Amino acid sequence: MHLTMPRSWPKTGLMRRRMFWAYAFVAIPVLWLVVFSLGPILFSGWVSLHQWNMLTPVRDMPYVGLENYEYIFTRDRVFPLALKNTFKFAIGGVSINVVLGLAFALLLNSKIKGRTVWRVLYFLPVITSPIALAVIFAFMFNRNYGLLNSLLVMVGLPRQGFLNDPNQALYVLIAIAVYQYLGYYIVIYLAGLQGIPQDYYDAARVDGANSWQAFWHITLPLLRPVTLFVIVTNSIGALQVFDLVFATTGGAPANSTMTIVLHMYNTAFKFSRMGRASAMAFTLFAIILFITIVQLRLLRDRTYED
Amino acid sequence: MNAKRVISVFSLLAILIVGAVPLTSAQEPIKLTVLTHWGEERLLNAQQAVFDEYTALHPNVTFELITVPFEELYTKIITLRTAGESPDIYHLYNLWLPEFVTSGMLSTPPDELVDAVVANTSPGIVEGTTFADQIWGYPTEVNTYLLLYNKRLLEEAGYSEPPSNWDELVEIASAITQVDDTGAVKQVGFAVITGWDSGVVHPFASLLFSNGGDYLSDDYMTVAFDSEAGLETLQLYERLLETRGMDMSISGWDFPTGNIGMIIMANWWRATLMASENIDYETEVGVAPIPVGPSGTETSTLSYNWLWAVDQGSEYPEEAWEFILWLNSPRGEGQSSPMGDILVHEFGAIPSNIFDQEVYADLYSDHFLAPFVASTAYARPEPLVGGSQEIKTLLQTEIEALLSGMTDAQSVLDYVAPEANAILEEFRMAAE
Repeated sequence: MHLTMPRSWPKTGLMRRRMFWAYAFVAIPVLWLVVFSLGPILFSGWVSLHQWNMLTPVRDMPYVGLENYEYIFTRDRVFPLALKNTFKFAIGGVSINVVLGLAFALLLNSKIKGRTVWRVLYFLPVITSPIALAVIFAFMFNRNYGLLNSLLVMVGLPRQGFLNDPNQALYVLIAIAVYQYLGYYIVIYLAGLQGIPQDYYDAARVDGANSWQAFWHITLPLLRPVTLFVIVTNSIGALQVFDLVFATTGGAPANSTMTIVLHMYNTAFKFSRMGRASAMAFTLFAIILFITIVQLRLLRDRTYED
Repeated sequence: MNAKRVISVFSLLAILIVGAVPLTSAQEPIKLTVLTHWGEERLLNAQQAVFDEYTALHPNVTFELITVPFEELYTKIITLRTAGESPDIYHLYNLWLPEFVTSGMLSTPPDELVDAVVANTSPGIVEGTTFADQIWGYPTEVNTYLLLYNKRLLEEAGYSEPPSNWDELVEIASAITQVDDTGAVKQVGFAVITGWDSGVVHPFASLLFSNGGDYLSDDYMTVAFDSEAGLETLQLYERLLETRGMDMSISGWDFPTGNIGMIIMANWWRATLMASENIDYETEVGVAPIPVGPSGTETSTLSYNWLWAVDQGSEYPEEAWEFILWLNSPRGEGQSSPMGDILVHEFGAIPSNIFDQEVYADLYSDHFLAPFVASTAYARPEPLVGGSQEIKTLLQTEIEALLSGMTDAQSVLDYVAPEANAILEEFRMAAE
């Protein structure tokens, strides 16, 4: 029997039973989402309109309206700095991941020797604990005894502060983040590349196209959905960066690596200002939603439209 | 009705009444949950030993211990409270008292315990355990800050004595710092522990006090560190950086590795220094009063303490307070308390109880601890006021910006003081 979605509730008993069970099975994950995702989001939105230190009962929270939002946009000196740092982190990390991810995927898609080993090596950091990586890189970037500075000295360059230098620390964190997650995006691009039919390249060769032309007119357009996925997921993750910063610099030196989620964490759990932290959370949610919508509209697959 | 029947009825009534009375605490099994930040194995063992000792005396009382690292303790307390799973007993940093008390989180101690605190501890410690004219628990360790110095590094730089004023501090620190040909800082004269609010602000406050300054106004309504004394204290850091007496590439935590000349730190670091393989505790670690600043007349320092407290929602507040009182009472005539034993043997900390200090008087003649014990007589307690944690973090961030060369001393005060005053006012109005 061919099952399609009926336009109205089915009249026959068999179809009615099937529809009932379909909705019943779907209801479970939906209920889970409502209780553990939507519910907390709505609660957080409500808390953002109150002052709450988490030490007093929720029912005793004083209502303050938009005061928390007004504070973070007009009086909180750290919030705009954290926002700026977060955007820098996201733009830097996403750009590098897209470019390098595709570049390495192209290399690993070619017939090089030991490509399986290379694929494993690139993916290993992805499955490594971010905290462990943070600790290791903190040592590697140490100004006095770190490996990187030792290499710089060997080639006659001056030592750098790296994570201790407020002008460099954020870029070092971007580098660490790229190191950790590049392998994941390489794998995504590899899957995309392997989904492009070879016929297109054969036809292009017959027409006299060179490698660059094949890449520009065939590979890139057909990878558009993959690129969209990489950019959107990477952006969402980068804008919410926390563990790497928390484990390495804690926002130091002097808030030069402070990010939105870390500032939110400090506001909630160090200063007991959950209302203000919730306001930040909702602001971040709105920003991510806006950026994602823009990305989806700009980068949506126009293959069939064209 | 004959007498036998009357007696029978009354006897039956008496039996029913007695049988309906709830079991006494001596019989009902009780489990007390205790939250501390002492998670190292030797400290876990020490705590468990004390719990076992108490259980042997009170078989119906057992304990469940929850430990988290110090930096997670405040978060743990508020998340447990939000989840409705608060422990019965907390070991708290006294700076958190204003928030916890105004939120109604803590149980009021019984008079017996309050009397014991007043009788057995010094006025400064009583003050550190008091908020809104009420003592909220039994104080445990008291910590102060003094100048720790590496005698070997000072002697190699040509100095046999530690600095007594700020000019000497800058001079000695600059002389100790060594940078090799590649620019690597091999050793530094003075260091600050960054990335931790107490690591930055407590030494700052100690220097401020030794420069004749105050942290808050006498009525706690406004900050007082934005004075000339406060500006000079921050300018001391600028001088140390300019003269290379301090370099932020070396963390203050590295003092036990033997490459830092001087640091302002607390007495609880004793165990770490004793365990260090790079600095000889007996012959190389020196302790001196905080150097006096240009606007000061005598040395001073900051003190803070921890205390045991009971949750307002505890199912067994009487039993919890009873345990805390036992924990901090002498085992016998002329003996120390179980808490005193843990503080002394496991931390090298200074117990709040005077009788514990007397029992361990020999230990406190130790070259490291003796100055710290003496400093408790003149140390100024960290002010307990609503918003103090937030102000501390604010000060920490701006001082770290100064140390990173991103701002100057005056700008730090110009920004922090109004923000801190706004925080103080906000908490004051909320409390009213």
